[in-house]
Amino acid sequence: MHDIQGSGRLFGGSSGATGEDVRFSLAESLTVSGRDRIHTVPVGTLEIREVSNVALGLELSWNSGDTIYALQIFDAETLAAVRSHLGTLPQMQALQKRQRRAGIGRALGWTALIVFLLLPLLLILLFVWQADRIAAAAASRVPIEQEVRFGEQAFEGMRGSLQIVEEGPAYEAVRTLGERLTSGSKYRYRFLVAKDDTVNAFAVPGGIIVVHTGLIAATRRPEELAGVLAHEVQHVEQRHSLQAMIKNLGLRGLWALVSGDLGGGLIGRAAVELTSLSFSRAAEAQADEKGFDLLLDAGIDPRGMADFFAILGERDRSVSPPPFMSTHPASAAREAALRARLAAIEGRTFAPLELGPWPPTF
Amino acid sequence: MAMDVVDYEIFGDDMQYVEIELDPGEAAVGEAGAMMMMQDGIEMDTVFGDGSSQQGGLFGKLLGAGKRLLTGESLFTTIFHNESKSKRRVAFAAPYPGKIIAVDLKEVGGTLICQKDSFLCAARGVSLGIAFNRKLGAGLFGGEGFIMQKLEGDGLVFVHAGGTLMSRDLQPGERVRVDTGCIVAFQPSVDFDIQYVGKLKSALFSGEGLFFATLTGPGRIWLQSLPFSRLANRIIASAPAVGGRRQGEGSVLGAFGDLLDGDN
Repeated sequence: MHDIQGSGRLFGGSSGATGEDVRFSLAESLTVSGRDRIHTVPVGTLEIREVSNVALGLELSWNSGDTIYALQIFDAETLAAVRSHLGTLPQMQALQKRQRRAGIGRALGWTALIVFLLLPLLLILLFVWQADRIAAAAASRVPIEQEVRFGEQAFEGMRGSLQIVEEGPAYEAVRTLGERLTSGSKYRYRFLVAKDDTVNAFAVPGGIIVVHTGLIAATRRPEELAGVLAHEVQHVEQRHSLQAMIKNLGLRGLWALVSGDLGGGLIGRAAVELTSLSFSRAAEAQADEKGFDLLLDAGIDPRGMADFFAILGERDRSVSPPPFMSTHPASAAREAALRARLAAIEGRTFAPLELGPWPPTF
Repeated sequence: MAMDVVDYEIFGDDMQYVEIELDPGEAAVGEAGAMMMMQDGIEMDTVFGDGSSQQGGLFGKLLGAGKRLLTGESLFTTIFHNESKSKRRVAFAAPYPGKIIAVDLKEVGGTLICQKDSFLCAARGVSLGIAFNRKLGAGLFGGEGFIMQKLEGDGLVFVHAGGTLMSRDLQPGERVRVDTGCIVAFQPSVDFDIQYVGKLKSALFSGEGLFFATLTGPGRIWLQSLPFSRLANRIIASAPAVGGRRQGEGSVLGAFGDLLDGDN
C-alpha cells in the first residue's frame, strides 16, 4: 500500500474553526501537519462523513484529547484515491451504504418534485388527448334548463348583429320543416331566419336554430333545406355546442391553473366564443349520420341532404368557400359515409315535400 | 488575477455604508446601483459579467451574465478604479436596514457561499458565481432556495443583509439550528441541511414553520436577525394608509383620537 499525498483544509483546535490549508499523507495512518502541530491518526479511528452541500467532498475527523479535528478534501483526484484507499474500512463501508440509501431517497424526492411540477402539464395533455370524451361526459351532466339558459345568453349577445325575420313564406317553410323534424324532442326548438346573403345556418345550444336567407335561396328543393335543418337539429340534440364550450372552458380553466392567471372572466369569454364556435370533424360526421336518421324517421327524402352538401362541396372547390362550409369542413370520408347510407336505401320512395313555390320568398 | 488589497471603513448603525480606500491603480467592483459617493480621480467602468475577466469569449460572458441573473444580481457590474496619483475613496451603501460585513476570502479558504442578492461590493478580482444547493430538502425548505451565490478569490468582499448580522464559528461537528431565511453566508465546509421541528404541536403553533435550517461545522457562518421581506411585511401590515393595523400608537377612539393627539 503506497502513500497518498494531497491537500485539504484542516479545522478545529489550534487550526481554528475557519480552518487552514494543509498537506496530508495517508497510509496506515493519516498524517497532517497543522499550524503548530503534526497530527498522526491511525485510519481505524477516523470518522468519515460526506460533505455534499455545494461541492462534493469527504471529511475525516478524529478526537485529539477533548478537541475534534476535521480534515476536508475536495480535490477530485485526491478524493478518488482516498476513497479507494479507505474502501476496506468498516466506517467507509457504512458511509457507502448510507450514501446508497440517501441516493435512492434523493432520486425519489426529485422524481416526486418533478412530477408535482409537471402535474398540471400532464393534466392538460390528458385533457387534450381525451377532450371529446371528457367534454361529452361533462355535457351529459348539465341539465337541459341550464343549457337553454346558456343558449339564450349567447343568442342575446349575437342577436344585435342579426336581422331576424319572423314572418313570411321562408320563415313558415323553415318552421314547418323544423317542427316536423323535432316533434317529440326534449328540447323546445325555435327556428329563425336571418336576413343574410351568406350560405350559412347555425345552432345555438338549447334549441335555437338560425338559417340565413342566402342558404334558403341556394336550395333547389325543400328536401335540401330539411337536410340542413336535420344536421343542425342533431348538433343541438347531441349537445355539440355544449361539449365544445366545456372543452374550451376546461382548457382555459386548466391553463389558468397552470399559469396562475385565475379569475379572468372565464365564463364571459366562453359565452362570447360560443358565437364563433366550430365543431370537431367527429361532431360534424355525427350530425350528418344522426341527421340522416332523423330525415328517415320523419319520412323525408335524405337525398336532398346529400345533394345540397354536394353542391356546397363543388362551390367550395370553385369559389371561396361559404361560411357554412368553412365551419363544416367537407372531407372525403364524410361524403363517402353519406353515399354509403344512400346506397343502403336505394329504391325507397318518399313523398315529396309540398311547401309551395321553391325557393320561398322572404 | 491578483487581488487588490483595500482599506475600508463602515459608517452608520442600522443603515450603513462602506467607504473603500483605493491606492493608485487599485479597483473595486460594486453591485450596480450600490455606489453612493466617489472622490475625484475614481473612474467608473461598467462591464458585462462580474469583472473578474477570466471568462473568455462572448459565450463565457453570456454564461457569467446568466449566472448573475439567477442569483438576483443585475447583469452588469461596475468597476471603480483609482486613476489618480494618490489614495481615493469610493462609498457603497446598503439598500435597506441591516449591516454590512467585510469578509476576507483568504481567511475562509477562498470561497464563500452566500444568500442571493447579498453581495454589495468587493476588491477587484473576486469572482461571483452560483452555488447549487445539492440537498433537496435544504433547497426546498431551507429558506435560501437551490441557488446561492459563490464568491471566490482572496480579497475582501462586503456582504449586506437585514437586521443585525453576526458571525459564529462552528467547531467540527458543532451544530446550530437556524430559522429558515436567516442564513446569510457560510464557509463551504459547513453542512447546510434542514430538520423537522420535531413535534406536530410545535410545527403548527410555534410559528417557526415545519423546518429548521441546520448548520453543522466546521466553519464560520453569518446569520441575519431580520430578513428584509419579514420587515417589509410588518411595515405593510401596520400601515394604516393601506389598510394595515395600527401598532404602537393610536387610541380606542380611532380617527377621532388621532385628530386629538395631532398625529394626522
